[in-house]
Amino acid sequence: MQLKKRRNAKLREIGTPLAAATCALLGQAVPGSVQAQELMPWDIDTSLLIYSESDGRVQDTSLSLRARKEMREEKFLDLSLTLDSLTGASPSGAAPAGVVQTFTNPSGNAQYAIAPGEQALDPSFLDTRVAMAGNWQMPVGRLSLLSVGASLSDEYDYTHTGINANLARDFNNRNTTLSFGVALANDSIDPVGGSPVGLAPMLGLGDTSNKRGDESKDVTDFLIGLTQVINRHTIVQFNYSLSQSDGYLTDPYKVLSVVDPVTGNPVAGPAGSGLYRYLYESRPDSRDKQSVFALLKRDFNGDVFEASYRYMTDDWGVDSHTAELRYRFNFGTSRYLQPHVRFYQQTAADFYQTVLFAGAPLPAYASADHRLGEFDGITLGLKYGQATTSGNEWSARLEYYTQTGNASPGAAVGSLANLDLYPDLNALIAQFSYKFGRR
Amino acid sequence: MLSRRGSGWLGVFRAMASPCEVHVDDADLATADRVVALAAEEALRIEAKFSRYRRGNIVDAINTAEGRAVVVDDETARLLDYAARLYELSDGKFDVTSGVLRRAWRFDGSDRVPSAEAIAALLPIVGWDKVRWRAPELTLPPGMEIDLGGIGKEYAVDSAAALVRPLSTRCLLNFGGDLLALGPQLGGAPWHVGIESVSVAGAAVRHIDLTVGALATSGDSRRFLLKDGKRYCHVLDPTSGWPVVGAPRSVTVAAPTCTEAGMLATLALLQGADAEAFLEAQGAQFWALR
Repeated sequence: MQLKKRRNAKLREIGTPLAAATCALLGQAVPGSVQAQELMPWDIDTSLLIYSESDGRVQDTSLSLRARKEMREEKFLDLSLTLDSLTGASPSGAAPAGVVQTFTNPSGNAQYAIAPGEQALDPSFLDTRVAMAGNWQMPVGRLSLLSVGASLSDEYDYTHTGINANLARDFNNRNTTLSFGVALANDSIDPVGGSPVGLAPMLGLGDTSNKRGDESKDVTDFLIGLTQVINRHTIVQFNYSLSQSDGYLTDPYKVLSVVDPVTGNPVAGPAGSGLYRYLYESRPDSRDKQSVFALLKRDFNGDVFEASYRYMTDDWGVDSHTAELRYRFNFGTSRYLQPHVRFYQQTAADFYQTVLFAGAPLPAYASADHRLGEFDGITLGLKYGQATTSGNEWSARLEYYTQTGNASPGAAVGSLANLDLYPDLNALIAQFSYKFGRR
Repeated sequence: MLSRRGSGWLGVFRAMASPCEVHVDDADLATADRVVALAAEEALRIEAKFSRYRRGNIVDAINTAEGRAVVVDDETARLLDYAARLYELSDGKFDVTSGVLRRAWRFDGSDRVPSAEAIAALLPIVGWDKVRWRAPELTLPPGMEIDLGGIGKEYAVDSAAALVRPLSTRCLLNFGGDLLALGPQLGGAPWHVGIESVSVAGAAVRHIDLTVGALATSGDSRRFLLKDGKRYCHVLDPTSGWPVVGAPRSVTVAAPTCTEAGMLATLALLQGADAEAFLEAQGAQFWALR
């Protein structure tokens, strides 16, 4: 890529005298014309990904197809289609207890029981998602590249529509690239059984009196990026991004347990429901996130080292650090092996609470969703890729993710002190990809 | 020799040690037959006249003149003028007298790299600057030879095209991979041309729609030497006697004439690692395979 852009002063321009000499040789009075156009193939990337959490939790089987084609004059069209099939059980947010706990499922037409000491997992987690995206990229002038895209995804209770645009401009002999991006999304949420009123109690079978209709949210993302070529072997990238979400940001399927502040035991729920007291979570209706990202990529005698770091902070009180390292060992030009390690750490949201205490005034916002808690995650992975003699490429990736987290401070009262309020999460990720060209 | 291909005709023959094809679209059998015959006759005429492997032709007369002046015909004079101009434009890298270096270099896939002494011994009989060319008289110092093979095939395509043009413009001439479309097929449809992979023989890695004009390819992945892990490509730099370093394995260039396309591709390979940068400096449309 660099070679293409380098201007070499010692290379003579001989096109015109050569054309004139050729005309003289062939006895032509005027030069003819040439019209040739490379017919670019669709570059097709297919993959099968399996994400599997331990203990029967979330399982995702994802099939994706991405097709990219170079059109006339360095324009590119990108299309992608992803199908996800999600099954398994998802944590409801309720704390474990020393007794059997019964829950009404989101539709309100069935109940399930959780044994003493067990994590409360809602077994009715099942969904199929279809996602599509299209992107068009074109040069603007000699130094800029514009890309615009649209995305759409649909699942049983959630629909996403989005548009995005990015403009990148090269400076400094193309050694520096500055880019600006904006993305707008509108998502609508139509939860199974309706969207619960925030901090309203879970009700008994068939009672949906505290559920409402569908909800929506808008997300606006801005990005400023700088890519700098340091030398022939090294490239660095810095991004700053701002993401603003407005609307319904609550997870309609998550609840919090209300427990006795001394014994830690669950307290009785609505009269006649036969349930303990669980309140639907409630989150603020806006969230502003800011993040900075730095990437270093360096070539070592044909191997490629990549290190990146991201810091994210939001107005919910969540701060996170992500550090990633990759090293690609290239064996000749057709095979490579790439180990990968990722460290992740985040603080809890201000309103994250493992449980609510009976008798205490209700906070404005509360969630026991572990994803908003304090936790660390480590991913270890290995990827192997090989090019076939016909120029296609397949790759296989295996990763292991392990996450450990902490309950909110002061939550482990009474009986809760002996229970695991933030169970570890382990997951395996296996992916097989095949890339090929098709005309 | 002539077969039906879709709405057109395909004629095949061998000339200049290569398979040759002539595609003619939208023509009756008699016209197609005449087009193929004209193209084949022209290819064989040029081969007979300029092949350095034939005895009794003009090149043989020049190469065996032992220092005497040889008077050449118009066509040969034009080719020699062209060779002289290419020598200038390439700063001595394109040299029709460099063929004698093949006595030392045999690119047969083996590891037989010649000795520096063997190469140095040949350099005194290489160099267009040592030749006296005053049209129509050419005088080569004794021991020197010329080889117009580097221009011949592309020149044959253009010459044949000029002859068939009055009969049909809906045709494509392909002489061993150097080709020219006189015009599109019926209805303006372009000709579909594949560029062969450098690693898998017969597999096309690039596909080009050629409406009008020429495509020529230089480089041959099957002609090289390999010694101690180092690959010696068959493109020799006549100023040193050694193969150029870092050249792409194949370069295809598009140009109005096959000769111009072929010369740009050859001159690019002679630039070694700068081949692509050279072609960009010329504003050429090209495809390089490394």
